[in-house]
Amino acid sequence: MAVQPAMPRSWRRETKPHKFCPGCGHGIALRVLGQAIDQLNIQDRMVFGCDIGCSLLAWDFFNVDTVQTHHGRTTPVIVGLKRARPELVCVAYMGDGGGYAIGAQHLVSAAMRNDRITVILINNTQYAMTGGQMAPTTLPGQKTETSPYGRDPDMTGHPTQGPEMVATITPESAYVARGTISRPKQLHKMVTRALENQIAGRGFSFVEILATCPTNWRTNAKNTWKFIEETMPTHFKVGELKVPEAFQAAAGGEGARADG
Amino acid sequence: MNQITHRIVEAYTGEYASGKSEVAVNRALELVGFGREVTLVDLDVVEPCYALRPIKKELTAKGLHVVAWETRDTVGLGEAGTILKAEARWALRRSGDIIFDIGYGVEGARTLNLIEGVDEEPSLVVLAVVNTSRPMTGSVRDIVEHVLMLERVDGLICNTHLAEETTAEVVQEGARLVGEASRILGIPVVATIAVAEIAEKIGSRDAAGNPVKAIKRYMPHTFW
Amino acid sequence: MSEKPITGEKRVFMTGNEVVAWAAVAAQAEIMYGYPITPQNEIMHYWTRLAPKFNKTFLQTEDELSAGFTTIGGVLAGKKTFTATAGPGTVLMQEPLAMAEMMRLPVVVVVMQRGGPSTATVIYSQQEVTLTTFGGNGEGFRIVYSTATHQDLFDYTIKAFNIAWKYRMPTFVLGDGYQAKMREPLTMYDPEERGVELVKPEPYVGLPGMPGEERPPGHYRNTYNTEEELNEVVNDHVKAYEQIQNELPEHDEFGTENADLVVVAHGVVARATKQAVEALRAEGLNIGYFRPITLRPMPDQALRAMADRTKKILVVESAQGQLARLLKESLYGKTVEIVPLFRPGVGVTPEEVMARSRELVA
Repeated sequence: MAVQPAMPRSWRRETKPHKFCPGCGHGIALRVLGQAIDQLNIQDRMVFGCDIGCSLLAWDFFNVDTVQTHHGRTTPVIVGLKRARPELVCVAYMGDGGGYAIGAQHLVSAAMRNDRITVILINNTQYAMTGGQMAPTTLPGQKTETSPYGRDPDMTGHPTQGPEMVATITPESAYVARGTISRPKQLHKMVTRALENQIAGRGFSFVEILATCPTNWRTNAKNTWKFIEETMPTHFKVGELKVPEAFQAAAGGEGARADG
Repeated sequence: MNQITHRIVEAYTGEYASGKSEVAVNRALELVGFGREVTLVDLDVVEPCYALRPIKKELTAKGLHVVAWETRDTVGLGEAGTILKAEARWALRRSGDIIFDIGYGVEGARTLNLIEGVDEEPSLVVLAVVNTSRPMTGSVRDIVEHVLMLERVDGLICNTHLAEETTAEVVQEGARLVGEASRILGIPVVATIAVAEIAEKIGSRDAAGNPVKAIKRYMPHTFW
Repeated sequence: MSEKPITGEKRVFMTGNEVVAWAAVAAQAEIMYGYPITPQNEIMHYWTRLAPKFNKTFLQTEDELSAGFTTIGGVLAGKKTFTATAGPGTVLMQEPLAMAEMMRLPVVVVVMQRGGPSTATVIYSQQEVTLTTFGGNGEGFRIVYSTATHQDLFDYTIKAFNIAWKYRMPTFVLGDGYQAKMREPLTMYDPEERGVELVKPEPYVGLPGMPGEERPPGHYRNTYNTEEELNEVVNDHVKAYEQIQNELPEHDEFGTENADLVVVAHGVVARATKQAVEALRAEGLNIGYFRPITLRPMPDQALRAMADRTKKILVVESAQGQLARLLKESLYGKTVEIVPLFRPGVGVTPEEVMARSRELVA
């Protein structure tokens, strides 16, 4: 008998195996989220919103009420829902294009209003579903279908520093972090805190997750790992950027550090 | 009224669509009729229509000085928003009587702060126009709440009407409500306003014992 | 508990935008999400003024995209939620409305038309008919009521919430800047006291029970993998819309029996038209009046029957033929002559309608 990997209770078995590519970071991000849902026991009082791009493949991923929206528009749908039903735990799940490009005004405005929602944003340095175009997070010199000679920061800017931006515009009650799928334990702590912060009614909660996309990166396992472990963190600093005092007190002043 | 020797400075304020402009126009023309020099100042900085602009020419022809934008001089009115005509700011430096028509808004009454010298003007009288057919000022409690929000109010004007459906009963019911609010607020009712034929039916005093004044409705011409 | 907003019937004097805010309260709407644009602003102003009194929710969003998508969120949460917009705002609103169409979400949108194209003028026009009836990348699965009076605005705003939640279809109240800003008397009433049943909203998400165990999870999407899958969904919409086409069309007409001419207009222009036709009939001319109240679906049957009974149709609108296009679609195959009186972006007076009508029956 084959050994089945442990699956979070909140995952929907009927839709597994999931449809993400082998080696894709979404699977790990969604496992971490599933475990956090189980641990916090919120499966029956949460709404999961997913965007366009690879994140939409999560539309039937959980045994959780789920709405798949338009590109960049998951944030306002979830804001409208949360304000209508504050007792629900509402998560907006999106990619870097949805959050930092087409939906940037929604992310910025929800953050500035300190909307009590949790935004989880997958950063894999390009638009994956549409075939590997340049994203706001594409690294300088990185080749994509729309930057075939490598991203030129002089012409197209530097990679968006999303959590840094969100941390700057949110009040102290917000939770802001950047995790990576290469550190699931640390990521689990971040995602859990991002949900707890909403449940406590404190403020906007945001986790950017560095994630792998070997299909569009055209990398083997070794180089995929090298890219996420070594290259991406030189542009995107992993760690917590904003932690409400309540967490710091509970953890005895010890946050989830970059080396967590 | 025609023996007044000092200058008259009146500001008409009140709820959205309460009839401020109508009352201000009638008052300004009444004073012109007494042979006085009168300037009517449009301080409605929000509303793109139903303000004085469309009837400016007609009023000027009647001998009024009108300080108001011409619609064609303003770009994207109500969008580019709050545009105060520079002339309006200095209106109190003019000679003769000054009638201000103040626009609405949560802070509408504070529009007067934009006028130079308003704090030192001894003749200033601020009058709140109330139409009790409007749900926001449809009960004594609502009227009192509303007038208190306006900060300075020296007198109330009952302008209760239902346009062409207005009857003497409608006006009298309004007069009773405004009269009651006036007692609670300790602010006098300066007049109850009605079009001539209804004012005639009511007589010189309304149901609450306040003076009745006949007016002509000009504002319906500001739209179509 | 908050107090009842309206008891008994009351004759009141208001602007059109205020009427919409009060009607939404009377319809027991709970949430408005919106973004400022003239000439609909006072809907938001009065909704926010009434909000604490009647325990209502409001958010001024960052743009109309957000206003539309938050409205979708409110509806998914099971609350009667609406928004209001105009002009370029109506353009942005098409994206969320396309999602509402696809997922059959009962959003209610009040459109107070302004001049176009582009920013244009802030007060008046009938140039958002095409956008409101058939905007978006879809098939126009929408319900659109075009109002002419303040009483219409009150009645049809209440009705829009009922129809939206009954048929699960985005529903519009299409007014214009004149109606929004003009003042006239109307009767306000509590719909339930009048015997109008208010359709109760139902949540799509956040239902009781453990999803996947005690109940299936609510999984809602607007993306499909295969053409066949999509075709099946759209065909279901087509079928639902056929029922709507049978049940919902509304219109107003008089004097169309064997008329020499019937004047067709909608919305505020129908007021001038009605006045003109009444005057012409008083002169003894055999001229009729027809006003579609629903522009989507159009009152096809009544229009086709009318076309069989008249010699000519004069279509009057403050646009360059946006109503006329809908009309021609309804009258396809009929040979009745259709004469335009198009005044894009400006008002139409009864005198203009009378003059043109006289020429046509001379």
